[in-house]
Amino acid sequence: MSSIATKQTPTVKILANGFLIMWLIVAAFPFLWTLWGSFKVEGDFFSKANWANALFGTLTQSETGGSFTGAGYYGAWVQEEFWRAVMNTTIVCVCVVTISLTFGTLGGYALARSTYRYAFWFLLFALMFRAMPPITLVSGYLLPFFEWNLWGRLSTTIIVLVALNQPFTLWMLHSFFKNIPQDLDESAMVDGCTRFQAFRHVIIPVMWPGVITTGLFSFLLAYNDFAVTSMLLSKENQTMIPKIASFLGTTQTKGNVMFAVSAVVSATAPLFVMVMFFQRQIVSGLTAGAVKG
Amino acid sequence: MARLQLKNVNKRWGSFVGVDNFDLDIADQEFLVLLGPSGCGKSTTMRMIAGLEDVTDGEILFDGKVVNDLEPKDRDISMVFQSYGLYPNLTVYENIRFPLKVRKVPKEKHDDMVMNAVRMTELEDFMHRRPADLSGGQRQRVALGRAIVRKPTVFLMDEPLSNLDAKLRVSTRAQIKNLQSKLKTTTVYVTHDQIEAMTLADRVVVMNAGKIQQVGTPTDIYDTPANTFVASFIGSPAMNLVEGLLKDGVFEGENIRVEGLPTGPSGNITLGFRAEDAEIVDGAGQIEAPMYSIELLGEASMITWRLGGALVSIKTNKEYRAEIGDVVRARIPAEICHLFDTATGERVAL
Repeated sequence: MSSIATKQTPTVKILANGFLIMWLIVAAFPFLWTLWGSFKVEGDFFSKANWANALFGTLTQSETGGSFTGAGYYGAWVQEEFWRAVMNTTIVCVCVVTISLTFGTLGGYALARSTYRYAFWFLLFALMFRAMPPITLVSGYLLPFFEWNLWGRLSTTIIVLVALNQPFTLWMLHSFFKNIPQDLDESAMVDGCTRFQAFRHVIIPVMWPGVITTGLFSFLLAYNDFAVTSMLLSKENQTMIPKIASFLGTTQTKGNVMFAVSAVVSATAPLFVMVMFFQRQIVSGLTAGAVKG
Repeated sequence: MARLQLKNVNKRWGSFVGVDNFDLDIADQEFLVLLGPSGCGKSTTMRMIAGLEDVTDGEILFDGKVVNDLEPKDRDISMVFQSYGLYPNLTVYENIRFPLKVRKVPKEKHDDMVMNAVRMTELEDFMHRRPADLSGGQRQRVALGRAIVRKPTVFLMDEPLSNLDAKLRVSTRAQIKNLQSKLKTTTVYVTHDQIEAMTLADRVVVMNAGKIQQVGTPTDIYDTPANTFVASFIGSPAMNLVEGLLKDGVFEGENIRVEGLPTGPSGNITLGFRAEDAEIVDGAGQIEAPMYSIELLGEASMITWRLGGALVSIKTNKEYRAEIGDVVRARIPAEICHLFDTATGERVAL
């Protein structure tokens, strides 16, 4: 396209590309630095003598004989059984996403099609709960959970995360459903569907981008959560994030910080894969309704 | 085959009355048009027939069977929506096939039925496109195709042409008329466009503010409007209405005097006549007033006066020339006049 609006002088082009490249470096740097550093020993990555040690691995060479070492990963995954945390995170995320999407789509649809005024108040209350920091709620949960012997279990955490997450999923899906014209449901019902069949066969296929975007957001919430998981899970049931925090918390033993660093890398990598896999749906989901087709 | 009866049907939302005592019999194979301005309750009436809206009061019967509590899917209807309501993720073919699929029509019959509907709506070339890749007129034909594929007992059409441009509207209108006469299915059609109503309907129901104003054939409604609302809604231009006083068969208003009217009624009367029935004259006329405007319509010219509060227009030949402000006279014979009671708006029986 070379319309006047999109025409660029070479200077602008160079500046724009230069800015993009710089931004990319700045944005990617922390992750790349951590990735590189995770294959060094702690003395290099946290070197007080010379920061360049983290790049060249002087101590790593003298300690292990090579410039790269997998000791951090071995320590985290095998010695400290980080794989258990990965399993726990997987269970928590899958359950949270499934449950909150199920309730979210059904509830969001019902609220979007409801003609009653309480729908509005319901959503407003949901927003208020969403605005509260989760930690304020979690401290209140502790006592009853101890008393009823529910503390420390994955299932309890899943329920709490779903509860914290539900207002957001409801809101988001509600607005997606609002964008789908009611004529579509009505066509389907006249064509022979029950209300639920219309929802299942007509509305949901149109809703996919919205469901995926919302699902991803609730996945991230569960995946990244620290407040709830660190307070409510026993040590053997820990998910990744509190586990990483516990690596950092015990600095008496050398090498634990490096476990944390390598665990962080292990925890971040799947996110990249996931976002890249779903990027098209996410973008169309986020911009849906912005411009009417 | 279906006879549709609406018995004193009401729709209220709280204290707001959407449809007020709608009572009507729709004969089998009839093409009935519900006509009225927006918000008059015509769409609500249709949605109650479809089952998309609950009836507050009264009964709706299909072939003598009360259907008030039946779901839309159990009423054997099909509906065309103003915004088409096509399934965006399905192709044209699959859109038309959808009603067959959900109603569990045997699979081997699908292709024949869909192709038949596709041929009737002339969509052969677009079968494998998605709605997003179609023009408005093509989308509306898909919606029509989806409505006819199953051969339901009643068609409901909710302003199907209002999203189309003027030219397409005329051709699609003809297509709808043709389809209905071929399929012989009872049809209820909602529109705010009186031309659509006149051209399509066997019978027209004119509605305003939730109430039926008049039911009749297009000719009835055009020739003998039941009240000033119908008179001012039907025809293009609508009927001229002038307020004045009737006494001993003589109607007098501002700059207008018509003699030879029936001597029965008297008092405050609104006189109505159609622009195409009256004519401009050089000599003495019933209207004699300075011209307010002259508009060239193409096949004719429209002369307008301001009489009292009302604008009164008369059609004349396209060569007619006069300046705004010139005194122009028109002949309005008593035979073309309609009389309405000014207070109630009702037609005065002659």
